[in-house]
Amino acid sequence: MNDPQKILYIAGLSKSFGKLQVLSDISFSVERGETICLLGPSGSGKSTLLRCINWLERPNAGRIYLNGSEIGVTGHGLVMKDSELSKLRTRMGMVFQHFALWPHLTVLQNVMEAPVQVQKRAKAEVEAEALALLAKVGLSDKRDVFPARLSGGQKQRVGIARALAMKPDVLLFDEPTSALDPELVGEVLLVMRALASEGMTMVIVTHEMAFARDVASRILFLDQGRLIESGTPADFFTRPQTERARLFIQRYAGVAAA
Amino acid sequence: MSLNDVLAILQGALATVTLSAIGILIGLPIGLGLALIRWARVPVLSGIVAVYVSVLRATPLVTLLLLLFFALPNIGIPLGPISAAILALTMNTSAFNCEVWRSSLVNFPKDQYEAAQSFGMQAGQRFRRIILPQIIHDSLPGLVNEMSLLIKVTPVLAVVGVVDITRAAVRIGAQTYEPLPPFLVAVAIYAPIVYALVALQRFIEKRRAAAEAST
Amino acid sequence: MIHDFLVVWSERGLLLSGLANTTILSVLSAIMALALGIILVPGLMSKRKAIAAAMRFFVDGMRCVPFLLFAYIVYYGLPSLGLRFDNWSSGLLALTIYNAAYMAEILRGAWVAQPREPIEAGSAFGFSDFLLFRRIILPPLLLNVSPIIGNQMIQIIKDSAFLTIIALPELTHAASSIQSRHYVPFAAFISAVLLYWGLCLLVEAGVSVVGRVAEARR
Repeated sequence: MNDPQKILYIAGLSKSFGKLQVLSDISFSVERGETICLLGPSGSGKSTLLRCINWLERPNAGRIYLNGSEIGVTGHGLVMKDSELSKLRTRMGMVFQHFALWPHLTVLQNVMEAPVQVQKRAKAEVEAEALALLAKVGLSDKRDVFPARLSGGQKQRVGIARALAMKPDVLLFDEPTSALDPELVGEVLLVMRALASEGMTMVIVTHEMAFARDVASRILFLDQGRLIESGTPADFFTRPQTERARLFIQRYAGVAAA
Repeated sequence: MSLNDVLAILQGALATVTLSAIGILIGLPIGLGLALIRWARVPVLSGIVAVYVSVLRATPLVTLLLLLFFALPNIGIPLGPISAAILALTMNTSAFNCEVWRSSLVNFPKDQYEAAQSFGMQAGQRFRRIILPQIIHDSLPGLVNEMSLLIKVTPVLAVVGVVDITRAAVRIGAQTYEPLPPFLVAVAIYAPIVYALVALQRFIEKRRAAAEAST
Repeated sequence: MIHDFLVVWSERGLLLSGLANTTILSVLSAIMALALGIILVPGLMSKRKAIAAAMRFFVDGMRCVPFLLFAYIVYYGLPSLGLRFDNWSSGLLALTIYNAAYMAEILRGAWVAQPREPIEAGSAFGFSDFLLFRRIILPPLLLNVSPIIGNQMIQIIKDSAFLTIIALPELTHAASSIQSRHYVPFAAFISAVLLYWGLCLLVEAGVSVVGRVAEARR
């Protein structure tokens, strides 16, 4: 558990909404520099799993460790205080399906907000880094624009820069391209590819099969709230172990080829 | 405070509610008329209505009431306190109703109107058969909200001597040297009336939301 | 008639001091009511049922009580609690407390209508509850509700006229004094009405400026 290579360690995670069991007994770990793609049909619990990792949803059972420290529960088995949870959450950057940029702040302010306000870092230093991040996602010219003026693809690139600004140990992506027009998907995936090749640790919920096949170091396949397959893209796409995964790949094969 | 005092305040409440009801009944159609003038962009009149509504919405009821009560007799129009009260309430509520009606007219889907035209309906028919039923439905919560606001300002009618809750409360307070209890009784009478209207408005909105969610 | 307006003109000092009082009273109580509303609204949204219910009772209660009666109760009631305030302070207090309930309700309505994701993003980025409210929830809330707060501001200006009954020297009271001193009812009250109108047009102009700022941040 204190293996320095393991950034995330998840054991026996379960979550239900009322009577509906959304996640059952999920266990896996993520090592430094891995790009994990979480695949599965809609309603399989992928997004819920991601949201449980940083406790946006509170799991019903199971344990989650980030760099060896347990998330959500204190050493005494109590639910964490807001302030403790806050500290751990700053170690995980999150990119949202609908961008979730803060509408009252400019692009640059969006990127700087959490490092300055939550991490209490020096403004000048954060600003320099934020500008570098905006350059990296190709949006230097948009620094003083409000999110409402951006295209979906631009919004999501700001969303990624904002997540990176906290210098997180791991980035969580919740279907980052599924709210985008098809022609805008590419620019976001390009940024994500670059991050993967730089060795950023990422957990990505996605429906982009081609991207998953090219970029993922490991595929996790969820079906009806269970983690039923885990393997390299080559294994998963060519030699799926389960019937459910085979059907899933078949259905999305056309999409992947496109 | 005796039972008689409470009864006096209750009687005042009755007067208030009656006056408000009269104001509302007259103010509703007048408001609709004003809204139609604005909506149809009747030359000159439309501008006058716009100014009328803007001024009336900015004028406190007390000030309007004092103006009507003192100034109209001064220019040769005799006006008792009750007439002044009804006139002030009507003017006030018609201006606010006008805005409620107007916003549903402005938001009325143009294609429906054009459909009615293409089916050969004439202006009067279009309005009665197609527009009116829908804008009544649309405006209802806003109009009920206006009613509750109107009832909330009626205690001020005491200023010109209409027998009314507040006046009774002030009189009783002056007699008993305990000013507070009569006002608390007055609140106990007013609050449920206003609450009933607020609850009605919420009920309508909730039912609408539920109906929309089910479609 | 022109003569009547000349009389009012000769008393312009009184009328203008009334206008000043109305303006100061309205602006002060609007600011304090908004501040109180901001403090109350997390209570209205609280997950603890008892707190939310208590806030709901206060807010709904205020919305059902006519302001005039509330002003009387504050004016007559405070002394029986042993608090002695002058007309000005008790008028200001009544306006503030009364409108705080409205402000809280306005803010709650906008909070409920806000998209959930940016708030969740705040949580995900480690904002604690208080910081989340102050930095992420509140600023767009205030921008979004500015037109409704403008309307409420106009309501406050009009409510302040009720305070003439506790002899607070605001605009309507000034007009009344001029009318009773010189018997020029039409000129006196029309002047007051026009001044109220001007005040409200100013508020509306202010709202449209804020609206333009808000539009870019939507």
